[in-house]
Amino acid sequence: MSKKSHAKVRAAADGLRKKDDISLVDVLTLAEASISSMKQFVDSLDSKIYSEFREIAEYIQNTKTEIGHLQANDLRSKHIPEAGGELDAVVSSTEEATTKIMECAEAILEADTSDTDAYQQLVNDKVMIIFEACSFQDLTGQRIAKVVETLEHIETRVCRFAAAIGAEDADGAASEKEAKRKKRKEDLILNGPAKKGEGVSQDDVDALLND
Amino acid sequence: MAVDLSMPVLVVDDYKTMIRIIRNLLKQLGFSDVDDAADGTEALGKMREKKYGLVISDWNMEPMTGYELLKEVRSDEGLARTPFIMVTAESKTENVIAAKKAGVNNYIVKPFNAATLKSKIDAVFGE
Repeated sequence: MSKKSHAKVRAAADGLRKKDDISLVDVLTLAEASISSMKQFVDSLDSKIYSEFREIAEYIQNTKTEIGHLQANDLRSKHIPEAGGELDAVVSSTEEATTKIMECAEAILEADTSDTDAYQQLVNDKVMIIFEACSFQDLTGQRIAKVVETLEHIETRVCRFAAAIGAEDADGAASEKEAKRKKRKEDLILNGPAKKGEGVSQDDVDALLND
Repeated sequence: MAVDLSMPVLVVDDYKTMIRIIRNLLKQLGFSDVDDAADGTEALGKMREKKYGLVISDWNMEPMTGYELLKEVRSDEGLARTPFIMVTAESKTENVIAAKKAGVNNYIVKPFNAATLKSKIDAVFGE
């Protein structure tokens, strides 16, 4: 209700209070002022509500657009399985190469050295296999680059979505499974391999044990 | 105390290649009786069936970690005195301190070489 219409209603009501003899016209005048005032109030309310609903509709539309840009189905059905496949391939190719190299090293260690020529031939053959096995490094580098590309793809989309909806990080874990994993890591001090330059050296470990 | 090269050694690691590496290094050092287990639970089972002179264990394994295995071993009257070396990529100070508190005899940070393994085994047996 505006101040002006409120004053009009108040003036009409005060006028009635001062009169000893109130006529129907006076009452109607007050009612008219009240109705006029209420109408203005309801009109302003309508426009406010409409404007707010329009903002909500726009927000929902924007969110739907951003969800579309997130390409969640594409991530789930294509990018993430592909990245997982690449990592599996990295694990198996490094394991395969390591096994080959170790088999060669074991064969050299166990070889009969009494026949020098045969021993020389065996060492040469095994060293060639070791060189070949080391070529896995080139392929794993390329596979890991593809995984990094996928992570960047996901990061771009998630960050854009979070910015668009003004998301704030919630406390705690995203799922019960994640909470359990986090608790296990904390309880059992599972930090994983340290990055280069982080963690303690063997000398530091020795010093800590001898303290 | 001299290192008895005929004593049974148990290598615990969930990574087959690492078991193979440690087995080969131990063989080169002269150890002939080497068994392996893929995690703490399997190791504990083997330790209750056979008396080992040394346990060399990784830390990060499932379901039972090397850290849990160490605590189980130290709290078991029959196994408590078994020498225990942790060989792990867990190289934070808190890991080393926790292992020390739990009663580890030595701690090797991965990656390691044969000389480190030998020196730590020698240190455990007072050589």
